Amino acid sequence: MTKLALTLTINGQRHEVLTEPNRTLLDVLRADLGLTGTKENCLEAECGVCTVLVDGRAVNACILLAAQCQGREVLTIEGLGRDGQLHPLQRAFIDHGAVQCGYCIPAMILSAKAYLEEHPTPTEGQVREALAGNLCRCTGYQKIVDAVLAAARESADRR
Amino acid sequence: MSFEYHEPTSVAEAIDLGARFGADGRFLAGGTDLIIQIHRGKLRPRHVVSLHRVPGLDGIEANGSVTLGALVTHRALERHPAFQASLRALVEGAEVVGGHQVRNVGTVGGNIVNASPAADVTPVLLALDATVTCAGPRGERTLPLDGFLADPGQTALRPGELLTRVRFSTLSERSATAFLKAGRRRAMEISVVCVAARLTLDATGERFTEARIALGAVAPTTRRARAAEQALVGRAPTQAALREAGRLAAIESQPISDVRASARYRTLLVETLVTRALTRCLGRIRGTVS
Repeated sequence: MTKLALTLTINGQRHEVLTEPNRTLLDVLRADLGLTGTKENCLEAECGVCTVLVDGRAVNACILLAAQCQGREVLTIEGLGRDGQLHPLQRAFIDHGAVQCGYCIPAMILSAKAYLEEHPTPTEGQVREALAGNLCRCTGYQKIVDAVLAAARESADRR
Repeated sequence: MSFEYHEPTSVAEAIDLGARFGADGRFLAGGTDLIIQIHRGKLRPRHVVSLHRVPGLDGIEANGSVTLGALVTHRALERHPAFQASLRALVEGAEVVGGHQVRNVGTVGGNIVNASPAADVTPVLLALDATVTCAGPRGERTLPLDGFLADPGQTALRPGELLTRVRFSTLSERSATAFLKAGRRRAMEISVVCVAARLTLDATGERFTEARIALGAVAPTTRRARAAEQALVGRAPTQAALREAGRLAAIESQPISDVRASARYRTLLVETLVTRALTRCLGRIRGTVS
């Protein structure tokens, strides 16, 4: 199998990666680059814990080939905070006790970020629909939804 | 799973690669089905030909007829202004495919070629009398979607051939569409049954001039319920006529029992959902239902 030389932009940083064509973005993030904030679970786009943003859109990194990300902007949870400051969504998740075991949370936050960019003042129903592709097996959904709504309100207040 | 990876930058180049690899090759669109099937070992292509650098396959044109490039995503269907009125079933089908992560990358062409009996968008396209255009080494051919779907995972696509676009007519203001899906939960669910419908009333509003009903997850492919369709043509738009169409569609369906539902339950769902989808179409034509 011929290896591919890829240039991936992850969290604003360029990475040169030499990898087999069958490896996914998730493989490269976790194993090659040590970015383990993106979680691995079902590997079939059912659970959503591997969600990252590619060009601002939420995708399942477990079924996206790394080769398909050449030339695109990838954002993982590690790239969300700026200058040592938590992102407002991260702050809201902490403030609302939205994190139990935590395994689904990086992906929840990134899905919420992508949705809020497009829909800055969502209803509770819209937030639930926006997060439908992210499973939480602690079933802490209510506090997760509360946190996303609070982050949206806070950002509306700042505008 | 190991394969060579190719990124053609034109349809012509993609077709050349398709012809060269034949049954050893697979075109990659969104990958939301293909990559999973490769991971599971159900498909073992030696060559994967990614289409994401081929320009011109992700466009939506809507003027008199609608043309969807094979790489149009479910996300793009959901958001397109041309599909918010009489073609609303397209939005209703697209918005229940997986979560946002899947809809952001999964494509119309992939939904068709994957040929799942439970596909959500293909019933809508069947109800719209869509055609598909396939490009291969011997040129292009356009054929009805109805008949293109052969069996689970099987279509009339020849080895190396590439589905490039889907086309259907826009609807008159006396027509409307609707899509309904039943699953064990509302989100992230493979359909237990899904139904797409299209109705057209005559100028006086007293008779149906055309009807289409397409069913998912009740046969080896998504398919039309022809007897139910024919029973509506020429009939007055009464609730009794819509209920009879539901009964006929249930008789026509050939569901199996599986992990999601029993055949008996699916048959009951077909009757109810077909009647409801037709009722919604009628309400939309009359402007009483959004």
